Amino acid sequence: MKKILAILLAGMITATALAGCGGGNGGSSSTDSKSDASSGSGSTDASAEKVVDANTVDPELFGDEDNISLKVWAPSQALELVKKQVEDFKAAYPTKTFTNIEVSAMAEAESGTQVLNDASAAADVFGFASDHLNKLVDAKVLSEVAFVNTVSEMNAPETVEAGKIKGTLYAYPETNDNGYYLVYDKTVVSEDKAGKLEDILAACKDAGKKFIFDCGNGYYACTYAFTAGVKIDGLEEDGVTQKFVQYDENEAVKTLQAFSRLMHEYKGTFTSLDVAQIASGFSTGTLGAGVDGSWNTNADQKALGDNFGAAKLPTINVDGTDKQLISLFGYKYIGVNAASKFPASAQILAYYLHGEKCQEQRAEELGWGPSNKNVQGKPVITDNPIQQAIKQQSENACVQVNIAPTFWNPMGNLGNKLIADETDPEDAEYFSKLLKDTVANVRDEG
Amino acid sequence: MTYVEYKMLNPMQKFGYKAKKFLVSVPKAIGRFFKAIGLGIVNFFKAFAKGIKNYGSTFVKGDWATKLSYLIFGIGDLSKGKIYKGILYFLVEVFYIFYMVSFGGQYIAKFGTLGTVETHTEKVGIVSKTVFGDNSMLILLYSVVTIVITVVVFAVYISNIKDAYKHQVMRENGEKPTSFSHDMKEFLDGKYHITLLSFPVLMICVFNILPLIFMILIAFTNYDKAHMPPGTLFTWVGMDNFGSLFNLVEGAKKGKTFIELTEWTILWAILATFSNYILGMIVALMINKKGIKLKALWRTLFVITIAVPQFVSLLLMNQMLQTNGALNVLLSDISKMFGGGPVEIQFLNSTTLMARATVVIVNCWVGIPYTILSMSGILMNIPEDLYESARIDGASPVKTFTAITLPYMIFVTTPQLITQFVGNINNFNVIYLLTGGGPTTQDYYQAGRTDILVTWLFTLSMTSQDYGLAAAIGILVFIVCATISLIVYNNSKSMKDEEAFS
Repeated sequence: MKKILAILLAGMITATALAGCGGGNGGSSSTDSKSDASSGSGSTDASAEKVVDANTVDPELFGDEDNISLKVWAPSQALELVKKQVEDFKAAYPTKTFTNIEVSAMAEAESGTQVLNDASAAADVFGFASDHLNKLVDAKVLSEVAFVNTVSEMNAPETVEAGKIKGTLYAYPETNDNGYYLVYDKTVVSEDKAGKLEDILAACKDAGKKFIFDCGNGYYACTYAFTAGVKIDGLEEDGVTQKFVQYDENEAVKTLQAFSRLMHEYKGTFTSLDVAQIASGFSTGTLGAGVDGSWNTNADQKALGDNFGAAKLPTINVDGTDKQLISLFGYKYIGVNAASKFPASAQILAYYLHGEKCQEQRAEELGWGPSNKNVQGKPVITDNPIQQAIKQQSENACVQVNIAPTFWNPMGNLGNKLIADETDPEDAEYFSKLLKDTVANVRDEG
Repeated sequence: MTYVEYKMLNPMQKFGYKAKKFLVSVPKAIGRFFKAIGLGIVNFFKAFAKGIKNYGSTFVKGDWATKLSYLIFGIGDLSKGKIYKGILYFLVEVFYIFYMVSFGGQYIAKFGTLGTVETHTEKVGIVSKTVFGDNSMLILLYSVVTIVITVVVFAVYISNIKDAYKHQVMRENGEKPTSFSHDMKEFLDGKYHITLLSFPVLMICVFNILPLIFMILIAFTNYDKAHMPPGTLFTWVGMDNFGSLFNLVEGAKKGKTFIELTEWTILWAILATFSNYILGMIVALMINKKGIKLKALWRTLFVITIAVPQFVSLLLMNQMLQTNGALNVLLSDISKMFGGGPVEIQFLNSTTLMARATVVIVNCWVGIPYTILSMSGILMNIPEDLYESARIDGASPVKTFTAITLPYMIFVTTPQLITQFVGNINNFNVIYLLTGGGPTTQDYYQAGRTDILVTWLFTLSMTSQDYGLAAAIGILVFIVCATISLIVYNNSKSMKDEEAFS
């Protein structure tokens, strides 16, 4: 009896162990299903983009694909809208049968990684942020955009350019708003002072309030390098090493020193904190201004109400000239999974979701800045000061695409060193070495 | 030195004597360790040679059925009337051939190169489609599975031959093979351990050993951001990853980072372990001292910090130590009372020393309660009569502590100390949640001043995608931990003299 009990116990223990681990093995499914290239489009003419309008294409392009079943990933806040849009899409092609188009929630920051993990189990059409583009293209899980000419015409040129790698457009532009800009309390910083970093800091100091800029985070801190002229310029041939434009080292060092001098001069006012502190800082009244991401706009606005001010990043005075702060700016894209079983249908769905109608709906209901030129000209955008500030900043920015994975930590370090107490802003040699080391670390040299 | 001589030394000399003894024994212990490894290797080859000899001699001595068992599993057993076992052996062979042909073979064939066919895109009309080539990661993974299965099948093969010969000998002696029900009953009796353990062992192999072999092999490949399956292939690079960790040429950042982080990791492990141990012990002694009132209350108060999950405390501490955090606000208020300005100390983001000291101190906050808990238990367990006899002999409190309490505690807690030390070498939470590796520096490759090896490993795999390098670091961390634990444990009293206090 005892022995049987012991066996039962051992069995139970292992059963629980199995229950815990069981899920893990399902992820690595075989490649076999991916490699069948049998389903192709019936279209024979490669240059014919039989586009009907800004939303739909000639149903002939579906080719022999029917009983179509697709999977779509959209971020959770857009889920309801995308579901509605998918229904409209089905209605737009009445001749086709759609067995199932499943829309599920997946954050844009996650979707790229998920597709990389297992392309065959991932969505056919998914939204992602531009910084994932080169990874996805390197892994060859993104299908080229089928309607290149039309898409290039319809969307703002910078969003199309950023979606290209080596001249090939890999994704449908979706938004034009993924960046950070200046937010301020109008009672502390007047509108005419918001243009210069020195004025903003002085106003904050006079009012006894703080200015937040997250120096330790490479995403924000690369502003210092970019403003100093050390801008990124895609990747080297190997596809992983970051390329920088030619820069004047003397000028760059002076700019970094100017930043560091301001930080030390306004110690106690200029603080390096997470951007999550900005909205709470506004609501507790300890904050005068900050550099915040566009996705936090709603929270900031709620904290300040009518006193909420938004503008492009200010300028900084370097040796008498005012230099505009250059930020990192990204776009969101809609990608088509290269492993899709219905490649033509997936392309047509992506085209529909990126189309004018869908972009306008998203701008109205979610406040997403559109990439479509026509929608950009509509009052929902032109009458919105925040959208205008974001748009202005996008003109003074490096595009967040083709960024090496080694980029973020060294840039965060650069920001940390500029603000560190023990850094002497007058020591030009230190900044020269810091800059060289930062560039070398980003490029993974040595 | 004789016992009497030793007893005449003063405490400092005693400590020096013991330390010297320990240090002298370390090389010996390392020597023993390598000798054991050497012996193991020799024994392995001896057994191997014996196996081959048996393999040959059995074939010579075997009858036709035994000889045929060398090719077809189970024939020997079948011909001698051991039907069920013969069929089982035969099924194993069928399964293995089927597995190799349908699945395993294609992967193991590419094991040497980890794939040669690159993924590429094809265009049909205006719609492009990716044609996936070899996936190096899947090749590596399934090759490991196939190798393990092959080893198991080989073991079955050998046992099949042995069994065939055994039954041949039994027939020659006129014995009958045992029946199915007899063999099954045996599994509840003589072979009961097999019944009980086979399933857990199988699961350990599938969920622990297999992934482990896979991870170890990754360390010898160039699986990194430039070689990411399924888009690109990766391949074997031998010891290159280890080479770049030990590359100490001026300007080689990975080597410098590895060496300096290793130094800090060991320093951190020592500081974290002993600060918790000593301080926890002091608090526990104070609480347990005779005449202290409300013992239960004090104990509860200290232990109550455990009620807050460790990671929550750490994240809160991180917030408190920010430049606008609670601690700086408090200091500012105090400074204002004396007419000073606001205080903004960058605890986690300024000098190396400041950040490291902060980490060690905060670690005391999360670690000491556990030490108090176990120490109180041990203190209450020390037999009271030991103290009584010490008192009667006129021993001072200090003497009682050094002669009774301390040896007893060290004896009981040495294994726990080792566990804690190893745990601290891999103490991801405290470093990652508190400082995130900061203060950052441009001197290291993807690491900061308080990063320990495991947090660096995390950054390497999660941020910069140097999987091969990260796997190599993992192996080295394991070697360091294993060596330290083995040496210290084998030299500890708890190991040498298990009966001492029982």
